[in-house]
Amino acid sequence: MSMDTTVEQVEGAVPITILALNGELDASNFRELIDTVKRLYDEGARKLIIDLADLRFMASSGLVALHSIVQVMHGQDPLDPEGGWQALHSLGGDAQTEVRLAGPQPAVERVLQRTGLDRMFVVHADRHTAIDAASAAA
Amino acid sequence: MRVAVGSAADLDLDAVVAPFRGLEPGLCLAIEAADGTPIARTTLAPSVGEVVTREIPGGALAGGRIRVWGDASGGGLGSALAESLAAALAAAPITDLAIAAQQAADARRLEEELAHGRRLQRSFVSLIPPDVPGYDIAAHYEAAREVGGDFFDLFRLRKRGRPLSVVIADVSGKGIAAALLMAFVRPLLHAAIDHTTGPAQALERTNKILVEERRSSLFITALAARLDVRTGHLCLANAGHEPPLIVRADGSPPIWLEGAGPLVGGFPRLDVPEISTDLEPGDLALLYTDGITDARATSGERFDEWRLLAALESSRGGTAQEVIATISDSVCAFQEPAPPADDITIVAIRRLPAA
Repeated sequence: MSMDTTVEQVEGAVPITILALNGELDASNFRELIDTVKRLYDEGARKLIIDLADLRFMASSGLVALHSIVQVMHGQDPLDPEGGWQALHSLGGDAQTEVRLAGPQPAVERVLQRTGLDRMFVVHADRHTAIDAASAAA
Repeated sequence: MRVAVGSAADLDLDAVVAPFRGLEPGLCLAIEAADGTPIARTTLAPSVGEVVTREIPGGALAGGRIRVWGDASGGGLGSALAESLAAALAAAPITDLAIAAQQAADARRLEEELAHGRRLQRSFVSLIPPDVPGYDIAAHYEAAREVGGDFFDLFRLRKRGRPLSVVIADVSGKGIAAALLMAFVRPLLHAAIDHTTGPAQALERTNKILVEERRSSLFITALAARLDVRTGHLCLANAGHEPPLIVRADGSPPIWLEGAGPLVGGFPRLDVPEISTDLEPGDLALLYTDGITDARATSGERFDEWRLLAALESSRGGTAQEVIATISDSVCAFQEPAPPADDITIVAIRRLPAA
């Protein structure tokens, strides 16, 4: 129903933006999440870690948000969540590294696995390993 | 609503009534003082919408209110419209009446469109399962207020042994777009199942069409299964959908048949694994959509999988229809008083115990 987001920056060779989600991601708020990432991208964010540690629940609309977020971070526009799947095709089968996921709870991880969305993302155990990996790759 | 005029002299009754003309024949308006004393009452005649009664006694209107309702013939306001009108009027000062009336008209149009969508969607979903000797099959489909994209399909294949094909799917998103994509995908999947060697290949082909034709503006989770009705052998492929539950006749806890590929329409290839099990006499297979597990109580709690298991446990040994009724009643009671936020679909297939 409700979800809070917190944004943190990690400075380095390439700055990393960490977006932490707290609550439930569903049809009522997934568009806001996409807008938040759009704003972060416009402000210059190019490496994003989505910290899922405090996300208790993710509905199928959350998958649409995650996909759209990958689009945004690849500089693609417009962000019509109902028109976005073509870009995913063009990304091919490999997981991209502009957006990383960190620390999903078992229920959220199961949704990612069940729907194959884990193919799109490198999923890290927690935000620290995600930061290390993103820094090393930069 | 509060009437924002100071006296009866300020009240232009025609202006008050005008926005409601053409909205609904048989509409009644009453303007009351704060203490409930009637100040004016109007009836809009069915065809011309004229004010036929008009009594405005003197006295201040400050703090008064306007009530709107249907006429005694019952031909006036539908309850949905009355509610939306009441909601629109609740916060509006008198000068905003035109806007309120417009909003009410829009709400009614939207309501009608949604009702059309629900009817359209329902017409695609045949609730009468095919007759398969030796099996007890039931299905339940309940559309959300804001049409979702659930569908299921049960049919006998034109192959040796006439296996039973079972499909359950959920188009992401809501509204007309989801209903239309559902209407597009359902026959596509049906034909693919009829012309391929197995469920995995059928899903792969459907995905290929959606991806290459670029028809997939939404994505779809789908489960396709084939049941050899002679042996009870159930073979299925799952593209991102909730896995089916198998309830054994031996009383062991229900198990999810895990193993899935990505959802349909999202990736160039699915590579969905084909998994299988055997339904022994008395065993039950339950397929469902996330409208069950994601159902939300007013407290914010989700129905979740454990409540589904509990409902399943309490209906163990019942007919397919009884199992489905227990689950849908349980979900309904859980989210009361709210209507379903998402479509709810359940299919239960029980192999009858050997006679």
